Amino acid sequence: MSSSSEVVIRAQHLAKCYQLYDNQHQWLKQTLFGSFKTYYGAFWALKDISFEVRRGESLGILGRNGCGKSTLLQMLCGITRPTKGELWVNGRVAPILALGATFDLEATGEENVMIGGAVLGLKRPEIRSKLGAIADFAGIGDFMDQPIKLYSTGMRMRLAFAICAHVDAEILIVDEALAVGDEAFQRKCFDWIDNFRANGTLLFVSHSSAEVMRLCRQAIWIDNGRVREFGRPVDVARAYEKAIKVEADDMKRFSAT
Amino acid sequence: MVADRGLLAASARFFAAPFKSAWTHRDLIVAILRRELRERFRGSAAGWVWAVTAPLLSLITYTVAFGGSAKLPNNAVASSPIDYALFIFGGLIAFNFFSEMAYRAPSLLHEYSHYIKQTMFPAEMLAVISTLRAATYTGIAFVLMLACQLFFAGSLHWTVLLIPLWFIPFLAFLTGLTWMLSAMGAFTRDTSYLMMTVAPLLMFATPVFFSPDSLSPAMKIAMYANILTGFIEIVRDLVVFGRLPGLLITSWTLFLSVVTFWFGYWFFCKTRAGIADVI
Repeated sequence: MSSSSEVVIRAQHLAKCYQLYDNQHQWLKQTLFGSFKTYYGAFWALKDISFEVRRGESLGILGRNGCGKSTLLQMLCGITRPTKGELWVNGRVAPILALGATFDLEATGEENVMIGGAVLGLKRPEIRSKLGAIADFAGIGDFMDQPIKLYSTGMRMRLAFAICAHVDAEILIVDEALAVGDEAFQRKCFDWIDNFRANGTLLFVSHSSAEVMRLCRQAIWIDNGRVREFGRPVDVARAYEKAIKVEADDMKRFSAT
Repeated sequence: MVADRGLLAASARFFAAPFKSAWTHRDLIVAILRRELRERFRGSAAGWVWAVTAPLLSLITYTVAFGGSAKLPNNAVASSPIDYALFIFGGLIAFNFFSEMAYRAPSLLHEYSHYIKQTMFPAEMLAVISTLRAATYTGIAFVLMLACQLFFAGSLHWTVLLIPLWFIPFLAFLTGLTWMLSAMGAFTRDTSYLMMTVAPLLMFATPVFFSPDSLSPAMKIAMYANILTGFIEIVRDLVVFGRLPGLLITSWTLFLSVVTFWFGYWFFCKTRAGIADVI
């Protein structure tokens, strides 16, 4: 691992509250008279999250559906702001949140690479020069010139990962995106991530503890908007697995207070 | 960072911010603009022919409908029978540019919700991109108008050279308007319905088919409060009549555009923190 110990991500007591409205009238009232009375139900997706990631580290984030993983990732990417708490991020972040979010079904693979690359912050000549490498990595052959709508799900995913793999990010955020590809492609992605970890920082989000143990040096387990466990992936994963077996699926998880 | 504290420096930074952002994201703007332009006629064999056909047809229709019969308003000398058609066409170009933006802006951020929620996307550039897209079609219609005038009148007025002075403030005004409408539209769909209701009515509050000179003084003032009147008057003066627009109307229009542009930007920045959470 890299010997540098510079902190690239530091989160302190992050919390995120979403305002849920019964209807648009409540929203309008809140907008107009919000300073006098509250008209919404508060839903705390994250309650208190603190952690640090140093350069070259790889952190796995475990948690069940609705525990706040995606909200945390959105915050790390600067897409949404924390309601409370503080967050420092230092470096170029490449989110692989929903692979292919920018894909236009009517456009060809090549056109989508141009757009996807631009959205991830690459300059036009840079993308052009990487076009060949991206096509090779995706390994979808002549389909690069075909509209994306003709692609299979796996092919789309391959192309999307290939784009993300070529943006020279310093911080890579992977959101259980690798589950779609076949074995061979998954191995290719994991190999690439292994390489990437040599000088980049990785945040890997999943509800599969096996993948987290495979890829990460450290792990946190987020439960109900809080960090429930933090430490070596093996320990965190064991506690997580155990809890899943014992605790029933809580039906009230998604309700506002 | 002492300079940061100065009010002057702060406002200079604010005024420069939209341009700085546009410059930083220029490659992204171009990439998405190209896609949007391609998208419009994708799947059609004729493609861009349609972009020319629509304005051409409407120009022909106006020429046939009004060409022979109508006199130019405000007693200007009609130098060719199609002057009145061009007079209307000038008004329509400006109004269509506006209405295309007004209809699209409220749903603009919803269209791009994937980008906004899942990537680090500079949402404030969407207004710029969509204005540029509409500007492309306006440009086509405008060139057609000039070609038509050249064909029938044999020459263009020298004032046509001043067109950028009309076009750039118009772009600024519409970008500002789109910032405002799109931010409001992200929070409530009512913005969309409001624009669908108001925009067609606005056509009658805008001198597309007539000249404000033919109205009573009170109505005239009300008419000039509408910024579109200014833009329509100016483009007619420059292209159809070949004269310089009045100083008062020009400065009023310019003033409104500048105010709309930065107010819109300020409004968008103010609300954007919440946008990713609501769309």
